[in-house]
Amino acid sequence: MTAKEKSRPSAGIAEVSFLRKHLLLIIGAIAGIVVTLFVTNTLFDGSMEKMTGTETWQNILLVNALVGGCILLFVVELKRQAIRVLLTVIVALLLGFLVTFIFNLDSADRFARGEFRAQVVSEAEPVENDDVDLEYNKRRGGEFNKPNVVAPVSEVAWTFAGREGDVVSLLAYAKNRRSDVNVLVELRDETGAVLAAASSATELQVEETFDDLVSVRDAVIEGFALPADGLYTLYTRPEEVETGTVLAEAMSQSQLAFEALLLGPIERVNRWGVWIQDAITLILLGMSFAIVFRAQQFSLGAEGQLYFGALVSGIIALNSPHVPGVILIPFIILASATAGFIYGLIPGALKAYLGANELVSTLMLNVIATRFFEMVLNFQLKPADAGYVASAKFTDNAVLPVIVESTQVTIAVFILAVVVFISWLLIRRTPLGYEIRIIGSNLRFADYGGVNSKRTIMLVMAIGGIVAGLAGMHLANGIHRQLILNISFALAFEGVVVALLARLNVLVVPFTGLLYAYLRAGAQFMERDANVSFEVVRMIQAIIILLITAEALVTFFQARQKRADIDETGHTVESLEGADV
Amino acid sequence: MPIIETQSIHKIYPNGVHANDDIDFSVEPGEIHALVGENGAGKSTLMKILYGLEQPTSGRVAIRGDEVEIGNPQDAIELGIGMVHQNFMLVDSFTVAQNIILNRETKQGVRIDFAQAAEDTEALSKEYGLAVNPEARIADIPVGMRQRVEILKALYRGAEILILDEPTAVLTPSETQDLFAAIRSLVDGGKTVIFITHKLKEVIEISDRVTVMRDARKIGTVNTAETDERELARMMVGREVFMQVDRPAVRRGDSVLSVQDLTYADSSGHQLLKHVSFNVYEHEILGIAGVEGNGQTELAEVLTGLRPPTTGEAYISEEQILGRGPRSVREHNVAHIPEDRLTNGVAVWSSIDDNLIIDRYYREPFTRRGLLDINAIVENGRELIREFNIIAPDGAIPVSALSGGNMQKVVVARELSSSPKLLIAAQPTRGVDIGAIEFIHQELVDQRSNGLAILLISADLQEVMKLSDRIMVMYEGEIVGIFPNDESLTEERIGYYMLGAERQPAEEMERQA
Repeated sequence: MTAKEKSRPSAGIAEVSFLRKHLLLIIGAIAGIVVTLFVTNTLFDGSMEKMTGTETWQNILLVNALVGGCILLFVVELKRQAIRVLLTVIVALLLGFLVTFIFNLDSADRFARGEFRAQVVSEAEPVENDDVDLEYNKRRGGEFNKPNVVAPVSEVAWTFAGREGDVVSLLAYAKNRRSDVNVLVELRDETGAVLAAASSATELQVEETFDDLVSVRDAVIEGFALPADGLYTLYTRPEEVETGTVLAEAMSQSQLAFEALLLGPIERVNRWGVWIQDAITLILLGMSFAIVFRAQQFSLGAEGQLYFGALVSGIIALNSPHVPGVILIPFIILASATAGFIYGLIPGALKAYLGANELVSTLMLNVIATRFFEMVLNFQLKPADAGYVASAKFTDNAVLPVIVESTQVTIAVFILAVVVFISWLLIRRTPLGYEIRIIGSNLRFADYGGVNSKRTIMLVMAIGGIVAGLAGMHLANGIHRQLILNISFALAFEGVVVALLARLNVLVVPFTGLLYAYLRAGAQFMERDANVSFEVVRMIQAIIILLITAEALVTFFQARQKRADIDETGHTVESLEGADV
Repeated sequence: MPIIETQSIHKIYPNGVHANDDIDFSVEPGEIHALVGENGAGKSTLMKILYGLEQPTSGRVAIRGDEVEIGNPQDAIELGIGMVHQNFMLVDSFTVAQNIILNRETKQGVRIDFAQAAEDTEALSKEYGLAVNPEARIADIPVGMRQRVEILKALYRGAEILILDEPTAVLTPSETQDLFAAIRSLVDGGKTVIFITHKLKEVIEISDRVTVMRDARKIGTVNTAETDERELARMMVGREVFMQVDRPAVRRGDSVLSVQDLTYADSSGHQLLKHVSFNVYEHEILGIAGVEGNGQTELAEVLTGLRPPTTGEAYISEEQILGRGPRSVREHNVAHIPEDRLTNGVAVWSSIDDNLIIDRYYREPFTRRGLLDINAIVENGRELIREFNIIAPDGAIPVSALSGGNMQKVVVARELSSSPKLLIAAQPTRGVDIGAIEFIHQELVDQRSNGLAILLISADLQEVMKLSDRIMVMYEGEIVGIFPNDESLTEERIGYYMLGAERQPAEEMERQA
């Protein structure tokens, strides 16, 4: 296995790389345009009038175009790996569907319980008898298998008196549309022998003959002539639920749930807004982690930096009610970035010059930042008459201008675009970025080559802090428009997933952030729209995240493991080459 | 009847690497059979199959004529096959005897009979002339003895066939001679030895027959008496190899590097360099010989700014360079080929292009107005790949995709293209195949002929003797001798200095420095 042989296939690829590069561009562009159009189309139900009737539709279109652009970047940057990411998402969704399905297996149970009514319909004269349960044309009801009662009713047998020749119809049915109980009905004589039985009704019976019936699931024995005078029994109970019904029910419920998951976030503009505004936060946080991880620094300080950024921008906002927005907003942006920078610089300096493990120090700094934030909020910022812990609402001049009506999609979109561009420029096109990449690839090589790795490590953690600080500003001045407790909703750590999923590529982070935010929003709407409990939604979401992260982590750790192997067996190159090339 | 015979062994690793391709290999009882080939030729895989560490994808293995399946090393040991790995598998805190009987203890009740163990070890050691001290702890004994312990361990487990994986890589010349003597006595005692190496000189010296492997295939088996190094090299590489480097005589110029009374102690206070003084001149390769771990690594790292000196100075063109960090050293036109390229010579997950600019990325033309000039970086990569014959489709691929030899060429290309005045080259050809060794040697000599001063550090004494104009021997952090490399200097003589048995008088050393 000489190097010559190894290079042979790649040499072939080199010749077609020109074409392939453009092919990727084309594929990415098509995917981007398709998604832009699809999202916009779904948002407005395909109606041009509805779109142009919306006030800020141009901006919606612009944001959707940016979403398409993110997809283009994703395809072009990750190349073949993009397929792997997509496959993982698809597999994760299928698995999520399976779980939803399993949790919906009990949804057919509703056919076996619920409120019901029963009556004997007859045009004949009622028989006078005080000892019977039913009289002709009188409804009687109850609830089958009521949950959480000591002795739930599972069947009823009600007697009625009849004369020979009376033509009766026996009805058992769900009380109303809220009850899905699926009953059968039997007519029995005094000895208990079954004279007639039914488990369903015809369309005609439901629509025309009997007003009380709700659906064809209800049971009707129509026009039975009683054979003799005496007492008869109307017996009714829920039908046994068949396996086929159980599966079909679970399937249709799961489909409903997944429709909500997959299309929920783009059904209406306000939901779309939730997706986009969450995505902005996640992308900023993912970008922060991607930059720091790029230098193999496992700083988890984004949360603290976010709180610090939010606090600083919030304090400025609360204290400047009369400064015009054009001046105040840029100032707030700058201040939150500086706050993040400083709060990132601290663990950076601790790591670089004192050797403090960045994982531990950043987690501790997170605690300090969040508690400090809470303290200031509680004792300094909370208005005296406030019923809960929150600052006053910001004045309009301090709120990021909204660009899409009825959402909180603000000019943060443009700030984000600038951040992405600068991050790319930093990592790929500056000497500092080169140092970051080399340190991430092999710290000892960087030292050997004369890179001032201490300074670079400190700087990269501070730069990550800038972006996280901006995320805090977006949360405070863009979304909540005041300072509240738990302003991050633990989003910071989800930024880790976004960064890993993007393989720490700053140009892919926007896509993975959008994808991740979409799943989060979708899960939220799944819970709201479908018959899936909050816990199940959370589990499905966790499964999806787990799989996606696992896939990203596998690649991430494989690379680290290989590196470790090489380090350990550096001089036994042969065994390494024999085993894994 | 051969004691080991394999028929059409194929081994394909799960990742698709075809490591053994149709190998017919046979070893006669009582012979010393050398197995040679470049890194990645498949020698280790074949031996792992024989020792049960790997299973062949297809093919048959017969021991003493019976077809066998060797599922794990336990099976191999039962069949009388023992293997001495390149990395010793010994428990450092145990004694020699304890290591030897490990897993084969004689017991008195539940107590292990250590007296018996020591006796057994003693007897075994006498029988095969493998001198060890049964009571010494592994941590306290030298590498050569550890190796003998490994061999004894295999013999104690009843090995009839011993596989030695690159046994001489860690030994000094005299230790190598001891090992060879031991191997001969093993064979006299009826054992069979398979000897894996890529040092052809040793093959000629010790083996009865040689099997050469290349690119997962067996190239052939020849009687050692009927071949020579040149032929074996040709079989290994697949083309004519020039073993000799053309080193024209050049008059050395002025001193480029002047080291004065350099001392270095590590953080725990161990004196690793003691009062080292020497000069390296223009047009000269100064080779440092010495058993590894005698201060060579520290010397290179102190001189290149990776470690701060404790005391002492080093001057390049009258300027003190020590203690100011690697960048400052590099800006004084010092280039450095580090001893372990994977540790700090390359960043394997970065592209070749990025690896080629680590010393210059911040300067014009690679950085202009604060931004990297990608075109300049790619162009630099393209030029060096061509000039140094690095086999790669382009500079964008990660260094991890390259073979050891090509990785080393990346390092050499970067360091030599920085137009240095002084090159500190540590183990420049370690783990590199013969073709690349030839290239790197020639490149070093050519640069020296063009005026470069080179400080060459190598554990391979032959390499030092082949390339150097002067040879400096280090022992326990001290310089024990400096010699002009002429006919009067022999490996044996240097060997004595390497082991600390001899020491040059101070005046003579000063005159040579």
